Amino acid sequence: MVETTRIELLVNGERLTADVEPRWSLADVLRHQLGLLGTHVGCEQGVCGACTVLLNGEPARSCLIFAVAVADGVAITTIEGMNRAEGMTPLQTALREHHGLQCGFCTPGMVLTAHALLTREPEADEGRIREALSGNLCRCTGYQFIVDAVAAARPAYRKEEP
Amino acid sequence: MKPAAFEYFRASNAVQAVGLLQQYREAKILAGGQSLVPLMNFRLSRPSALVDISGITELARIVPTAHGLRLGALVRHQDLVDNPMVRETIPVLAEAAAHIGHWAVRNRGTVGGSLAHADPAAELPAVMVALGADIVVMDAEGERKIPARAFFVGFYTTTLGSDALIVAIEMPRPREPVGFYEVVRRHGDFALAGALVEAGESTGAVTWFGVTPAPVRMAWTALAEDEGLRRQQWERLTRDLDFAGDEAFRRPLAVTVAERAYQRARGGH
Amino acid sequence: MAEQAMRPQMMGARVARVEDPRLLTGQARFLDDIQVPGMLELAFVRSPYAAARILDIDTGKARKLPGVHDVLTFSDCPYRLWQRTEYQVGQPALADGGVFYVGEPVVAVVADNRYLAEDAAEAVRITYEPLTPVLEMRAAILEEPRRVHAGAENVFFHRSHRTPGFEQAFADAPLHLTATFRLNRQTAVSIEPRGTAALPDPASGRITVYASTQSPHRMRSDFSEIMEIPEHLLRIVVPEVGGGFGMKANTYPEDLVVVAAAIKLRRPVKWVSDRMESLLADVHARDDIHDVEVAFEPSGRIVAVRDHLMADGGAYPAYPFSGAVGETSLAARVLTGPYHIPHLATEIDCTYSNKMPLGAYRGVWGPVASFIQEGIVDRVARRLAKDPAEVRRVNMIRPEQFPYRNAAGAVYDPGSYGESLERALDLIGYEERRRLQRLARESGRYLGIGISAFVEPTAMASSEAGSIGYEACSLRIEPTGKVTAAMGLGPTGQGHETTMAQVIADQIGVDLQDIVVLHGDTDSAPFGGGTGGSRSGPIGGGAALVAGRQMGERLKTYAAHMLEASFDDIELGNGKAWVTGVPSRSVSIREIAEIAYTDVKRIPPGLPIGLELVARYLPTRSVSFSNGTHIAVVEVDPPTGLVSVIDYAVVNDCGQLINPTIVEGQIHGGVAQGVGAAILEALRYDDDGQLTTTSLMDYLLPQATDVPRMQIAHLVTPADGEGGMKGMGEGSLIASPAAIANAISDALEPFGVLVDTLPVTPRDIIRWTAQSGF
Repeated sequence: MVETTRIELLVNGERLTADVEPRWSLADVLRHQLGLLGTHVGCEQGVCGACTVLLNGEPARSCLIFAVAVADGVAITTIEGMNRAEGMTPLQTALREHHGLQCGFCTPGMVLTAHALLTREPEADEGRIREALSGNLCRCTGYQFIVDAVAAARPAYRKEEP
Repeated sequence: MKPAAFEYFRASNAVQAVGLLQQYREAKILAGGQSLVPLMNFRLSRPSALVDISGITELARIVPTAHGLRLGALVRHQDLVDNPMVRETIPVLAEAAAHIGHWAVRNRGTVGGSLAHADPAAELPAVMVALGADIVVMDAEGERKIPARAFFVGFYTTTLGSDALIVAIEMPRPREPVGFYEVVRRHGDFALAGALVEAGESTGAVTWFGVTPAPVRMAWTALAEDEGLRRQQWERLTRDLDFAGDEAFRRPLAVTVAERAYQRARGGH
Repeated sequence: MAEQAMRPQMMGARVARVEDPRLLTGQARFLDDIQVPGMLELAFVRSPYAAARILDIDTGKARKLPGVHDVLTFSDCPYRLWQRTEYQVGQPALADGGVFYVGEPVVAVVADNRYLAEDAAEAVRITYEPLTPVLEMRAAILEEPRRVHAGAENVFFHRSHRTPGFEQAFADAPLHLTATFRLNRQTAVSIEPRGTAALPDPASGRITVYASTQSPHRMRSDFSEIMEIPEHLLRIVVPEVGGGFGMKANTYPEDLVVVAAAIKLRRPVKWVSDRMESLLADVHARDDIHDVEVAFEPSGRIVAVRDHLMADGGAYPAYPFSGAVGETSLAARVLTGPYHIPHLATEIDCTYSNKMPLGAYRGVWGPVASFIQEGIVDRVARRLAKDPAEVRRVNMIRPEQFPYRNAAGAVYDPGSYGESLERALDLIGYEERRRLQRLARESGRYLGIGISAFVEPTAMASSEAGSIGYEACSLRIEPTGKVTAAMGLGPTGQGHETTMAQVIADQIGVDLQDIVVLHGDTDSAPFGGGTGGSRSGPIGGGAALVAGRQMGERLKTYAAHMLEASFDDIELGNGKAWVTGVPSRSVSIREIAEIAYTDVKRIPPGLPIGLELVARYLPTRSVSFSNGTHIAVVEVDPPTGLVSVIDYAVVNDCGQLINPTIVEGQIHGGVAQGVGAAILEALRYDDDGQLTTTSLMDYLLPQATDVPRMQIAHLVTPADGEGGMKGMGEGSLIASPAAIANAISDALEPFGVLVDTLPVTPRDIIRWTAQSGF
């Protein structure tokens, strides 16, 4: 039978183990071994961005990463890791209020990319938002309401002045 | 679109990686995976083994040298964009790196990987050729330097042996202003055509990418002040380029990107 | 208070979608998220040839690989789409002795997971004898180089139409022009690929098929008819669908194979398309050639249009809807668009080729019809040196002409044609744009302004979603007063759970959060037509409205009885019924529901037990026309051949709006797809019939940086059907390619350019402009 290797991943703050073949993508392992189905697979060649997760806070394509190769201690954040007990984050709420999603398939990747952008650049202007999201394809919205939503979420990412 | 099975090895240092490459003749190096893994997912590349070097932290450093910078092979594209030392010492490197793919790809893709992959339309090989970088490679014989200008020999083809590993790139600080310009259909795409122009007082050089099988650098003496005349000079320089059978489209693009890169080098936009 | 129930609260409101929280938090479940114990995955071996005989299939090695459960060929799955005689040929579920396009499913492998299935698929050995592929439409019409199917002519659909007196009118006109228009192959590229999962239930003997489809009931009928599975033993469940755009309205060969494999193996089996498969084998669209002749007058009035419409239907008619027939026959009916052009002659040829079958993609016939009709207007303007807006004014159907019968016999219900043009010109600041354009040209910059006035036939009796012209809504008020509606729609992101609830809420006076709208499950929903052809808003919404009204009447009957008031004096709202002017005389809907289900002796005479009904709505019109005007502003950089769409205005009239925000989202998305259609997206076959655009690095979708910020204004000319809604899902992609094409033509007017092929590529622009001394 096919040989598997036991790996440990730090996902959304939890240490999880899985038995994987070396060739299994991080996206497939998150989805099919760990049950984190919010990470979506759209192209398996790193173009569409649906499978975007955060590695140590930075967006990455989980379809182009072998789960076995994720280094120890790298913090993986999936869309499930964005969720808070009290409900949606201000970014998620803004996306809803601005109708920044239709079919919702690209949405988890959009949310994570936009979250990483605003964490880094809470003042990102429309041009920067569009540029940062340009690696996340959406076929439904024409992007405008996504961009509006991300812009509207900026205040939530501004650091309070001491 | 699932890759064929392979054996996986994680190397903890460059010597070990080279040893594994020798031991597994159809092995490939896995660094950022942004070029290799798509090919594997299409099963266009099916290495029997992958040697993962991404954990070799000493290959991920950017250090200043007497002449410029030494970039570890594992330096990520986004590091080139963000790193203050890069931005100050070789600003055109940061500028060119910002044009590589999208953010998520730049966060993973590595300098060494881009050079080894040698896509003719990629930015970094052209930057290395333009600036006369040396590519530091390691094989069983040890470390040696290959000038970038002798490294890229054709479509996805380099003089790096299959049992050799890129460990670093030594880049000189440019002596002259360097302008960068590329034509892409969409933000983040591979370039239809691009150029880097080193614009000295009277001499200079242009390095094209995307129009020929590998980056090509051509030097000139005495460039015209008049734009029309200058375009004719670019045109003459392009006569020696191998447009791989697509001359009608690529030659005018080559002229345009050279002129626009030149204008940027001279401080225009 | 008295007027509260009379005035709709929800219809027309910008309500946030009820679908969103689950999608935003990663809790929604799409097709590939369906996982059950023991589920196997299926992968296809697809044809590497455009045309070949199959000499041998050797599955021996594949069967021996680890984790492989079965390898299926046609004999395991002996079904054909189009078993009936409409088109003489029907695609087998798996190749039957020959292959007819690259990507055609030949063998199916079922294994423990997709990785192992792909390993085994690689190990299947097939011996082919290649044949000369048929790849060119014009040659195919002449049966050159050969017939695609030995037993059928290459032209599988031919029609012609001519208005009486056409030739005379055409000949008498003082001015003429000719043009050939070409729309290249494109496809929908939903970000979620297609997929199917079949789960046999040994207990009941039934089969549940999870499908990423727009038409659940149609798919159930298809399985039942084609595979002879009794319809009551089939259940289709549509999970969350990640975009469809018409492409998911078909029943595909892969769907049949998955069901057959599950039945054969008595195991759950799932297939999810990967991106390469999706580009190869999701129905393709467009691929039209139109040879056009136009007769016109010096005033700009267009008198007559002649068009030979050709579409490359691919190797088989897609099931149950050939895109080629849709592209052409519907285009021929609306080729005159919003203009009063009295004479029309059309000749249609749909041909077979060795390419992927043509199906539906948003707008179907519309993008090409608009491209031609708007291209014609701009050519007339160019020839006469008139402003393109002015030539549109001259030809536009006037308000007093409604209902307007066009030259193809289609009857337009009233719309805001001239008004939408004028509003759009205002919105974009047309005169100022023209001034800036002149200034820019002086400094060597090429700005262009392109207008596209459009009509969008919606709510048609038949569409790619099916051939029924009605929709159904079952409505149940539960014993606690909460409301469950179920519909046969197949939404793919349009937000029907929200919009249908909005329609119902007004009618029965409950809050939105007290209504759930179920859809996409043939066990819960009444038989319906699904989603496609811009029908869900007007027809589905009409059904929801009728169901809501009937339920509202029943609630009022209860209230009148309980409150001892007249039926006409009862109002509904906020979960209550009350007597007009006396809000204290009220009864809650919950109380009514308790009576209806439990305290049944108190049910008013003549009413049934329970609060449950099914309403079906069939519009009296066979089609209702939305309309509007798009204006695009582009900048073209001739030396690089790049086009940037820098500004965009839309004036849209789809009658009564259910939720303007959702309408605007639909428009944004369609315009973005129009940017793709105009300058990025093309499926390209090479001379051997190999598809060369099999990845998203080759088939270029618009990114956030490619799509302009759009301004939208609404006009409202209500339809005369229930609720006054017209459909609007497709208009934005119908109008936008033409707007951008015209803007590029306008920008490159100094070079004499008139765009006739989409998409326009850098290569085209450099070829058109390079000689001019840049």
